[in-house]
Amino acid sequence: MNNSVLVIGGGIAGIQASLDLANMGFKVYLVEKSPSIGGRMAQLDKTFPTNDCAMCILAPKMIEANSHPNIELLTYSEVEKVSGEAGKVKVKVKKKASFVDWSKCTGCSECAKVCPVELNSEFDENLGKRKAIYIPFPQAIPNKYTIDKRSYPPCRVACPAGVNAQGYVALISQGKFKEALEVIRRTMPFAGVCGRVCTHPCEQDCERGQFDEPVAIRNLKRFVADYELRVGREKAVPVERTKEGKVAIIGSGPAGLACAYDLIKEGYAVTVFEALPQAGGLLRYGIPEYRLPKEIVDNDVSYIQELGVEIKINTPVKDLGEIFNQGYKAIFLGAGCQESMKLDIPNEEAKGVVYALDFLKRANSGVKIDLGNQVAVIGGGSVAIDCARVALRLGSKRVHLVCLESRDLTSKDRMLAQDLEIKEAEEEGLIIHPSLGPKRILTENGKVASLETRVCTSVRDEQGKFAPRFAEGPVTTIEADTIIVATGQKPSTVVFKEIEKSPMQTIKVDPITLYTNIDGVFAGGDVVSGPADVIAAITAGKEAAISIDRYLRGINMKEGRPETLKRVKEVSKAGVRPKARHSMPTLELGKRKGFDEVDLGFDEKTAVEEAQRCLNCAVCSECRECEKVCEANAIDYEMQDEYVELNVGAIILASGLGLYDISPLTEYGYGKIKNVITAMEFERLTAASGPTMGELKRSSDGRIPENIAFIQCVGSRDFRNKIYCSSVCCMHATKEAMLAFEHHPGTKSTIFYMDMRAVGKRFQEYIARAKKEYNVTYIRGRPGRIEVNHENDNPIIWHEETTSGEIKSFETELVVLAQAMVPQITKDLAKILGIELDEDGFVKAPDKLLQPLDTTRQGIFACGYVHSPRDIPDSVTQASGAAGRAAEAIAGGK
Amino acid sequence: MNLEDIIKETKTYYCLECGKCTSLCPVSRYNSNFSPRFMLERALMGFGDELIHDRELFSCLACYACSNLCPSDVDYPVFTQKVRNLASGEGEHGDCAHSGILFSLMRLMSRSDIRQKRLDWLDGCHTSEKSEVLYFAGCAPYFEPVFEDIEVSPVNIARNSIKVLNALGIEPMVLPNERCCGHDLLWTGDVETFKKLAQFNAQMIKESGAKKIVFSCPEGYRTFKIDYPQYVELDCELMHITELLAQNLSSLSFRAKRSNPEVKRVTYHDPCRLGRHLGIYEPPREIIRAIPEIKLTEMEHSGDESICCGTSAWTNCSSYSKQIRVERLHEAKATGAEALVTACPKCQIHFKCAMVDKGTEKCTNIEMKVMDIVTLVADALGDKSSE
Ligand SMILES: Cc1cc2nc3c(=O)[nH]c(=O)nc-3n(C[C@H](O)[C@H](O)[C@H](O)COP(=O)(O)OP(=O)(O)OC[C@H]3O[C@@H](n4cnc5c(N)ncnc54)[C@H](O)[C@@H]3O)c2cc1C
Ligand code: SF4
Ligand code: SF4
Ligand code: SF4
Ligand code: SF4
Ligand code: SF4
Ligand code: SF4
Repeated sequence: MNNSVLVIGGGIAGIQASLDLANMGFKVYLVEKSPSIGGRMAQLDKTFPTNDCAMCILAPKMIEANSHPNIELLTYSEVEKVSGEAGKVKVKVKKKASFVDWSKCTGCSECAKVCPVELNSEFDENLGKRKAIYIPFPQAIPNKYTIDKRSYPPCRVACPAGVNAQGYVALISQGKFKEALEVIRRTMPFAGVCGRVCTHPCEQDCERGQFDEPVAIRNLKRFVADYELRVGREKAVPVERTKEGKVAIIGSGPAGLACAYDLIKEGYAVTVFEALPQAGGLLRYGIPEYRLPKEIVDNDVSYIQELGVEIKINTPVKDLGEIFNQGYKAIFLGAGCQESMKLDIPNEEAKGVVYALDFLKRANSGVKIDLGNQVAVIGGGSVAIDCARVALRLGSKRVHLVCLESRDLTSKDRMLAQDLEIKEAEEEGLIIHPSLGPKRILTENGKVASLETRVCTSVRDEQGKFAPRFAEGPVTTIEADTIIVATGQKPSTVVFKEIEKSPMQTIKVDPITLYTNIDGVFAGGDVVSGPADVIAAITAGKEAAISIDRYLRGINMKEGRPETLKRVKEVSKAGVRPKARHSMPTLELGKRKGFDEVDLGFDEKTAVEEAQRCLNCAVCSECRECEKVCEANAIDYEMQDEYVELNVGAIILASGLGLYDISPLTEYGYGKIKNVITAMEFERLTAASGPTMGELKRSSDGRIPENIAFIQCVGSRDFRNKIYCSSVCCMHATKEAMLAFEHHPGTKSTIFYMDMRAVGKRFQEYIARAKKEYNVTYIRGRPGRIEVNHENDNPIIWHEETTSGEIKSFETELVVLAQAMVPQITKDLAKILGIELDEDGFVKAPDKLLQPLDTTRQGIFACGYVHSPRDIPDSVTQASGAAGRAAEAIAGGK
Repeated sequence: MNLEDIIKETKTYYCLECGKCTSLCPVSRYNSNFSPRFMLERALMGFGDELIHDRELFSCLACYACSNLCPSDVDYPVFTQKVRNLASGEGEHGDCAHSGILFSLMRLMSRSDIRQKRLDWLDGCHTSEKSEVLYFAGCAPYFEPVFEDIEVSPVNIARNSIKVLNALGIEPMVLPNERCCGHDLLWTGDVETFKKLAQFNAQMIKESGAKKIVFSCPEGYRTFKIDYPQYVELDCELMHITELLAQNLSSLSFRAKRSNPEVKRVTYHDPCRLGRHLGIYEPPREIIRAIPEIKLTEMEHSGDESICCGTSAWTNCSSYSKQIRVERLHEAKATGAEALVTACPKCQIHFKCAMVDKGTEKCTNIEMKVMDIVTLVADALGDKSSE
């Protein structure tokens, strides 16, 4: 026989049962699913029939339970499994991760002050706010904070590199721009670059898009990068070398630099070898300045250098062996795709045919280029669009773009460039010729004269593979002085012969580790994937950094890598109001002649407003601001759910009450009609610690109502809803009417009832007092409908006064609904406990008369609202009874 | 069936006397002498006699606004229906509108030897002698001359119904000797005559070989679906035309130009029999939304909160009925709609009557097009035969 008892539910009933047993000398485990004990009573303002302050009565009990040597509180915990038999029960309890080490937390609340994530407070019935790190109410026991963290936000899961978008967006919403940038740099160094040119898969998946439009995540990222440039950046502090082994990176594109960045932060010495005179790869030599200005690339690159990454420019690497000879222990190859694809059509060698990468490189290096008046660009991707827009800026009169793909952006054969860049290019004057393939180049005197094309009927096959098909048909010929070929790139064919490559010249690697066929050599980015995008390259660099670290430390490169992030399941959109996404202001069309940036960036106000559109999908954004201010060092983001096994002799179930969803009772308009609230909301509004500091105000106009109506039995005593009487609402309505009067003397209350259930001691006198001293009128009749006076938002109650038989409409300023209450026990929990419930969902007693507090399973007892509709005095009485039964069961078995 | 049985059958025992019914009743709102709660209370308290001889017994519209939300699930309309039967046994009856002509017609139809000439309206419609589908025309041909003066043409609804069925490729049967469904007799207490009509209809339909009956009148539909099974056997699938149309929307091709292009915004009035009696709220709305260039705007009370047109079974039509209608028309007008669309010929008759009979001041200024949903659909489909 085990001498301890498990109590489930830390409401008044659970607390009382625990204290009784503890005082008898039994060991008690009190399991509560929310972060604090107290239950519903903690939410109440006053309690009938004495009108005592609920918290004043409850708090001492909570404290006693917390400090009692025989009681072990397990808050934020739930029972997962129960086995064994009466007397010897094994219980498995899940302690949900609170992400705060409660043995350290002092309850100082500094964390909550800085937390940028705010949401509706359940404790305040969604009328007030709380932070992601919180205690439910000031007097909470234990007085320890909990982080509400629910997996990962869709944006972060969608980002290949796992950039914490919710984190920085949340901080921007609070005007914390510097901190937001920090969050980005925790994952990667390219805030300025990615804020401009990222293909933003995060926005595709942004949950806000399910509601109206996605948050402008990329533009927000750009905003914080620009902000830093504007206010001036302090030089980054070099990272200390803590790890053995130098790493060489070949290529200073985004893949190489992202890899270098992660490794330097891990404490390795890193050197980047770059063939060209400046670092950045295609960021510098590919993407034109009107999209990505040089100073932005400079800023992101110098930040990496300041951390200690050495970049050797003008240093082409020819031989990997030589690098190893210099003492480097691992190599990351991020050489990109340097060679343009050929067209393989007649006259391709003619003068006037140029290739996209060479063309862009020259343009980006400021070399003067003469293209002539007419230019034809071949290709339908972003590179082709960039070439075309550069050609327009270099002064060509007519720029054509010829591509195999369709201009219909919904088709499977659509152009690969992004919607917005196509639109902008067309606005700037680009003429697009879709669904055409180049056939041959016509020349005059060995110089390009025009391009002959043929009709392309289909680009990709069923499997989505590139397999163009052409039709016989009219030949379109486009006159051109210059033809720019932008049909793709591949890695340079000449270098690193020893590395295994595909027929397309791309390097073959292990898909998880990015390891090549040569010991110590890793590769990633375009050199592996073929031409892709910046964020993919960054991701590859980061993955390689993980492998290299593991390689150098001699641990398995595959097993135990960080897991992919799990997406949060459900995101509440309750109360979200539609608000359009802010669009990016752009340079006027007429001014887009030089290489000035087209997108102008958000100003501070726009950025903050846009960031406020974020739904904070995962609640805690992992911005780590709380960690910074917690002097006790209590925050632990890595915390996991914990399971404890308890051995007990008996169980008392006291899981209390839930509130019945009354929104389907449309006749009362709850949730639709303003100034119709529930009784629990009323309690929070009059409570001094509530969201309005005890001011009972109407939501529609903030006025204090002088005329209040209470409607009883809403969802109770109703065949369509809950057939039973909830038993406490007649009395709490009377109490609330009195409270309204106390708050605002003179307030007139009217209670619409069917029968006043005043069955407790002195309850009848209580009602008499309400009538006599508190201006409360009782009208017998169940209202049929609430309508609205649209002039003043007053609800109008249609009812029959059944005592006189008159139908009346009653206009009032506030309606309080006596929402039905339901036993708070799920079928799952009943199954875990192995107990039966009655048809209304309350705990079933084997014998209502003689064993009312027993359940259908021996050794398990019940008390409080989950047992039957009960007020506080009755719940406490039952609790003592259940404690007695449990003690008897244990002692009896001794 | 005596009062005791009625109380049992309609769950009146459970009544809490809460008055929710009365506060929802459109009649009680204007007629302070009528209260469903009070009717029930008298039955429960043993004042059956008083109840049976109360003139207000015939005031209920059987609109189900009350029972739809009754916390005790009491079926007040059926309670009324059965008590009226008791009352009629004692010579009580309601006040009959239209000089009783409509009731005379119903009773005439209950004779076996009558020869009706009820199919003159079929021109332009494709029907067949033998089909699995039967269109139940009901009393439309008889209503036609009675309501000519207020410009309601129930026959037009019948004709349009068949045209719409034709558009779906259905050429239904229409029976030449069909009888009134008996709805009004049943609800005014004349169960005997009702039974006769039901038997005639059941017999004829069985002989016709129909497998499915389509109604455009919600009363006929309700009567066949809920009341007939208690008196006669009939093994057919029953459907309201809006259900059939909603299921087959994709096979209808609406014309770009309708014959009544001035109607752009409409509002829909749920007939009580179709709505609260049978729970059909969505199909008519789906149909309206599918018609090009028509916008549906809901009234303040719609769906299961819809308000009755004010009279049922041509009985106790009074100034209260009028007030109910005028209120409803004001609600319709407030939506900004050009037309009030409904799916019941009687609703249309009652609304139009309220606009023609300019009795009270409030209604003199209401002008509103009232039309049946099948007419709206037929207009949007275009009349193939006239093209
Ligand atoms: C608006 C309103 C006003 C009221 N006013 C009064 C009043 O003035 N006077 C009065 O006497 N009564 C009043 N009552 C009734 C009173 O709130 C209840 O009688 C009382 O709270 C019941 O106590 P309890 O411990 O049984 O349940 P609860 O207070 O509901 O506590 C149950 C606890 O169990 C926890 N729990 C639930 N499920 C689990 C689980 N699976 N695992 C672990 N923990 C779980 C819950 O989180 C909660 O903390 C009022 C009720 C309402 C709704
Ligand atoms: S800052 Fe730290 S110690 Fe203070 S309440 Fe927060 S978690 Fe607890
Ligand atoms: S990490 Fe940020 S969002 Fe999460 S609790 Fe801490 S401060 Fe709040
Ligand atoms: S709403 Fe916010 S948290 Fe959610 S996906 Fe969008 S940006 Fe991320
Ligand atoms: S306690 Fe009163 S208000 Fe609550 S359900 Fe019972 S009778 Fe209705
Ligand atoms: S609403 Fe129902 S329970 Fe209430 S009085 Fe009417 S019939 Fe009785
Ligand atoms: S059915 Fe309609 S008219 Fe009859 S009592 Fe009920 S609400 Fe009133």
